[in-house]
Amino acid sequence: MNGAINFTYGFSHGVEWGWPIAVYLLLAGISGGALIVALLVRFYKKQHVDTPLLKAASLVSFVTIALGMVFLVGDLEKPLYFWKILIHYNFSSVMSIGVMAISIYIPLTLVMCLYLFEKEISLVLAKKNQLVRYYAIVMSILTRFRPLVEVLSIVFAVIICAYTGFLISVLVRFPILNTAILPALFVVSGLSAGTASAGMVASWLFNEEAHSPDLKTLHTIEWPIMAVEIMLIAMLFVSLLVGNEFQQTTTVAFQNGVYANLFWFGVMGVGFGLPLVLNFALGKHVAHSQMAFYLSGMASVLGVLCLRMFIIYAGQTFGV
Amino acid sequence: MENDGKRRAFLKVLGLGSVTVGTAGYSVALGAEKAEKKPHYGMIFDQNKCVGCTDCEVACRKVNAVPEGQVRLYVENKTDPATPMEKRYVRVSCQQCEDAPCVAVCPSKACHRDAKTGIVTMNPDDCIACKYCVVACPYDVRFINHKTKAAENCNFCLNTNFAKGKEPACVEACKYKALVFGDLNDENSYINQILHVKDHVRMKPMYGTKPSLRYIPIVKAGV
Repeated sequence: MNGAINFTYGFSHGVEWGWPIAVYLLLAGISGGALIVALLVRFYKKQHVDTPLLKAASLVSFVTIALGMVFLVGDLEKPLYFWKILIHYNFSSVMSIGVMAISIYIPLTLVMCLYLFEKEISLVLAKKNQLVRYYAIVMSILTRFRPLVEVLSIVFAVIICAYTGFLISVLVRFPILNTAILPALFVVSGLSAGTASAGMVASWLFNEEAHSPDLKTLHTIEWPIMAVEIMLIAMLFVSLLVGNEFQQTTTVAFQNGVYANLFWFGVMGVGFGLPLVLNFALGKHVAHSQMAFYLSGMASVLGVLCLRMFIIYAGQTFGV
Repeated sequence: MENDGKRRAFLKVLGLGSVTVGTAGYSVALGAEKAEKKPHYGMIFDQNKCVGCTDCEVACRKVNAVPEGQVRLYVENKTDPATPMEKRYVRVSCQQCEDAPCVAVCPSKACHRDAKTGIVTMNPDDCIACKYCVVACPYDVRFINHKTKAAENCNFCLNTNFAKGKEPACVEACKYKALVFGDLNDENSYINQILHVKDHVRMKPMYGTKPSLRYIPIVKAGV
């Protein structure tokens, strides 16, 4: 008798979680991705000095996650009551678990910044004698825990990237969101945007040569990350295509309408196409230019923003 | 032979063990049942009786002070355009799930199950209006109240009519007795008597949230 009676009216109107959430998802992805990549490079190359890449990544991860909080809290209808989350933990809520992870992750990124900008901060504080002394005491204690902080930072960076995926993959009403692939896709696309951001900031603010060993490494791992990202998106699409009747109807999102344009021009064209063209199709001269380096980095970040926007908007548009 | 003895001993232990564990388990279960039988409130919507007058909507909005342009309860016209004379109306409202996703996802425990009645309801003071419950609801029957800035759902008039010992406003208002409210855990309740004799369905049971609303659809028996 199922199907004998049904209702299609809903009390929410359209997309309840809009662009601020998409931007937050991007910022969280950049934050986690940048830190993961920079720390893995450090571990893999057994570096003991503070490289411009790690400096850039620490700064990027702290600034983006802090900015992300502004968007996250700003999207609440009662932003001044956000502290209620902190006193009423609900362990079955991905949002609560995420808030817990964030409240460990933000201090970690802050401590990473303290390590990497120790000299700069001391210089700024030098005018106030008392403060410099306190800072030196704090740093002498913190420095002892640096290896632990670095490992914890990687772990929590992965958790932050993954939780943003789980946050929306539990929404059973929306077939595009309610997939197992989403958290994995968010980790990988976060790595992609994080790699690009950390590379650009290292070059722009910390005078890292575009052809330095570290940036060359980033440039090499950029492509496999992109390939995995494309593969995961393809898997998401196929799983919808071969799914039940509700999942099948959502494939329209990829085929026509404004979200399809966002996907094909934004995610595929700008995010994947542009960097590939700039680096491989226009010859070595263009590929090695400063302009191509920044343009392709920004295209990657913009592409990941488009991906988050597509997932958030198309996901909530096609409900069961 | 030696093996045989071992097997016999093993079977003995197995048999004795399962009897002991079984009885112990049964007595524990019995004790738990005796201790307290909590109510489980549910509602029936009988499509055969609904004429789509929307008196229930009006009563709900008035009793629960739902702001203009918003509803906790909506009567949707699902009449097939091919057969316009065969009217089909459906009640759209919170399905009062036993495994409610809204309660599970609420980060501030504002959306909760009332301790005494087991009804899924809202504490507007703790709600930060993150809209997680609104998007997590498989039935799309939650909304942010414009006035209180808190998420809201049909809670069987828990704070209004129910608190005064009355039936929910929609049930009171229905002239055609299309709505029945009652305790599903009470074997003698009127709601159970109807459910015993009438075919009924739950909405979107595939989500496994065990909704407490039951629908009696119009089914043409044919000639």
